[in-house]
Amino acid sequence: MKGPIFNGAIILVGVFVFLKFLLPLFTAPLPASLIYLYVALALSGIMIFGTMSASSLEAFMGPIYRFLSGKGQSGVGQMARLAVLVLFPLLVGWQTYTKLAPSDLPPAENRTIHPAPPGEFVGLSNPYPKVPENIMMGKGLYAAYCSPCHGANFDGKGPAAPGFNPPPANFSDPGTIAQLQESYLFWRIKKGGVGLPVEGMPWKSAMPRWEEELSDEFIWKIIMGEYDGAHQSPRTWEEEE
Amino acid sequence: MLNSLTFLRTVPLLVLLGTVNVALGLANEPPPAEETGSVSLRLYQVEGSVPSDDPNSAVWSSIEGSEFKLAPQVHWPPRIQEVTVKSVKVKGVHNGQELAILVEYNDPTEDPADGAALEFMVGDKQAHFAHGQEMLQVEGGPVNIWFWKKETGNALDMSAKGFKNLKTQEKQNVQAKGVWENGTWKVVFSRSLITEDEQDVQIQPGEWRSVAFAFWDGAIVDGLVKEKGSQKAVSSWWYIRAEPSADNSIYVWVLFGLALAAAFELVIVRKLRKGQSA
Ligand code: HEC
Repeated sequence: MKGPIFNGAIILVGVFVFLKFLLPLFTAPLPASLIYLYVALALSGIMIFGTMSASSLEAFMGPIYRFLSGKGQSGVGQMARLAVLVLFPLLVGWQTYTKLAPSDLPPAENRTIHPAPPGEFVGLSNPYPKVPENIMMGKGLYAAYCSPCHGANFDGKGPAAPGFNPPPANFSDPGTIAQLQESYLFWRIKKGGVGLPVEGMPWKSAMPRWEEELSDEFIWKIIMGEYDGAHQSPRTWEEEE
Repeated sequence: MLNSLTFLRTVPLLVLLGTVNVALGLANEPPPAEETGSVSLRLYQVEGSVPSDDPNSAVWSSIEGSEFKLAPQVHWPPRIQEVTVKSVKVKGVHNGQELAILVEYNDPTEDPADGAALEFMVGDKQAHFAHGQEMLQVEGGPVNIWFWKKETGNALDMSAKGFKNLKTQEKQNVQAKGVWENGTWKVVFSRSLITEDEQDVQIQPGEWRSVAFAFWDGAIVDGLVKEKGSQKAVSSWWYIRAEPSADNSIYVWVLFGLALAAAFELVIVRKLRKGQSA
């Protein structure tokens, strides 16, 4: 089995395996609809490539035509052809069913966890020195204001956490504050869930808008205490470049 | 020979695309694990009347319910760090006209200030779960709150858009009935699915809506009511849907799809055979 169809199929399977299984090892998994889009794109690319010249067209399409028409095929070939001819209508029927069947699953949510901050919060740096007194004070404030949701151990498992969807962020997970700059935390703490843009689904977030209760100084010190307590360090400007 | 068959070039593409599409559909992510509680509430469709004034009706034991976790309200002041109601079991039914929702939760004592509330988003705009409070980058919508209190024995139909804007509606469309027994409250809320009031949530069967919960333990501790106002047990938004009536037309469409695909193949194969022998 050689030829353009075989090569094309290998490429498609490769693209699919890469998107579906390899990529999630490094980053968040792609939604299935996007994977489908990319595979379809790759497929059209292969088709265009395969049908560019008359001879490549014949090489590409000829076997498919011969296969579908069933002329001069061996027993195995005939079986395969029959299988395809039976399977195709079944697939169409199945597709129709899945598209029309009322789903019992609530709408899928694609909440962006770290949307872009408003311009005025980009690049701010913590004006308070990272000295033990400040860190201590930050931790004290954290215990009073943040731990009911984010947990005394910075793990997102505070006593109030179970009632909220999305759950309070787990700061000891390398996917949260370790990915972020201090200025980003300053924005999130000051403006809270209601400060998120639409892709962050602000209407669902229980994160309070702390500017109504805490001074900027307190917020900067809490940020210090938070990183220290969670054993993480902020992402810095240099890494961003 | 191939020229006369130009249009056939798209066939293999269609077949391939269809197959890939279905394969991906099957490989889709499973629904989220329910270990942290339910994510949605289903209002089962029933024949006849809904058990609006009977929290102990046999109808309730015939259906599955959902369970939602609750948190002490620590989102805005005045907060509370510890609450009585930690989770709630919820069941729902409708008959195409009326709906009834049963909430069932533990509360060791029966007190006049005990209360329960359901909150819904109203209309097309998203509303923040905390009383439709203002959002900074998104224009939010209002919420509809159904508030039952033991001492009044009935439900208030209320609206809010922001913390200081909670008000009782002019048109009262909600009923409620609560029964306390052996440390458990069972409260049934009922209403018509659709009302004339634009301040109300409209529950169209088959469509998803957002719902949130709140509970107050009105026990007297040290001469004060333990939980009142913003000091309560809460949840954020979860989904609710009234079951749509069974729709058999979908099987007609499936048959139609099957037949269409088969006819399509027939034509293609015949053309190909002719084309190749010509
Ligand atoms: C009522 C519960 C609650 C309290 C109290 C609370 N948070 Fe949050 N917080 C949340 C929730 C829920 C999220 C996740 C949703 C979101 O990002 O808005 C969150 C998210 C965050 C994030 C974003 C993390 C990320 O990876 O994007 C930061 C930073 C944060 N909280 C800091 C704090 C600090 C500091 C305090 C105390 C001053 C605090 N929170 C108090 C509920 C809470």
